[in-house]
Amino acid sequence: MASNVAQKRLFHEYKNLSTNPPEGITAGPVSEDDMFYWEALIEGPGGTPFEGGVFAAELKFPKDYPLSPPTMKFIGGGVWHPNVYPNGTVCISILHPPGDDPNHYEHASERWSPIQSVEKILISVMSMLAEPNDESPANVEAAKMWRERRPEYEQKVRDEVKKGLGL
Amino acid sequence: MTDDEPSLNIPSLLTLAVVSFFVLRWFFNRDDAPAGGGRGRGRGNVVNPAQVEQISQMFPQLSTRDIMWDLQRNGGSVAATTERILTGRGLETPPPSFQPQVAIPSATIPAAQTASAAAPKADGQDLISRYNLSAKAASTAEPEPQLATPSKSAWSQNKEERQRLLQKRRDDMILAARRKMMQKKEGSAQ
Repeated sequence: MASNVAQKRLFHEYKNLSTNPPEGITAGPVSEDDMFYWEALIEGPGGTPFEGGVFAAELKFPKDYPLSPPTMKFIGGGVWHPNVYPNGTVCISILHPPGDDPNHYEHASERWSPIQSVEKILISVMSMLAEPNDESPANVEAAKMWRERRPEYEQKVRDEVKKGLGL
Repeated sequence: MTDDEPSLNIPSLLTLAVVSFFVLRWFFNRDDAPAGGGRGRGRGNVVNPAQVEQISQMFPQLSTRDIMWDLQRNGGSVAATTERILTGRGLETPPPSFQPQVAIPSATIPAAQTASAAAPKADGQDLISRYNLSAKAASTAEPEPQLATPSKSAWSQNKEERQRLLQKRRDDMILAARRKMMQKKEGSAQ
């Protein structure tokens, strides 16, 4: 029953994202037979080393969505970013359920709640690419490089962007 | 108490009954309390698949069974399990008798499907080979003909059609980015 609610809600979000897609974002279920598994494409934000790139990510929704947030993971590798784990898993506050932050880095309002949506997640991830959050890095190496050797970080990101497009 | 003293009369029998009622009640309540009160039952055996998923995404090398075992033992705290893994203590192997009870069983299915569907997408693969776009990438090296892609309002009442539209939007997005990047490269080379 709960999963029926989740499916309806996901279908509704899919429809909204298709009819009225935000700039630089494409997202939807890989197959409508499984509404709990999506793939999304995000364009790298302009004015950042990610500019011009397209990044694919998978979204996995729990059966009790939208009570619990989905998980998001970049696929195909290549997102060198302080808030993205080396395996591609994205770590931002909107993907964290309220009350799940023992360190109180984040305000409850930034975290997941049923009034958020896939669209908001993807937009947040886009702005995360532009502005890394240095407070709780998921990729310590990338965070260090971003902080201490910015030109090297930007070059590495640009190389990854090209590689991702097969160039 | 049950001696047959002749002085045994109805009032004393009643008192005995009332007293033993309270004694027994206290006794059984005491037994119930640890099981019924808060922690034990609520946090007990059921493992939340979302938590398992969350941890196995962070640490794909770990077995789901080990993760479930640890989650169950620490009362479903993702933070505690993560902490444990990160401090290098590792997870214990659950005993063979351990039967993980997953809160919503079907939630683990997508993961399994992903695994099988994931066969053609090794990590580090670029988007062109991932979505089999190499032919299109080569042929549409000259920009046009569908530059003004119908990216707006890509919706259909038909399920297959929707799927196709989504794929097309995805492919167009990747190919457009690739073309742009190539042009930029040529521009900077000249």
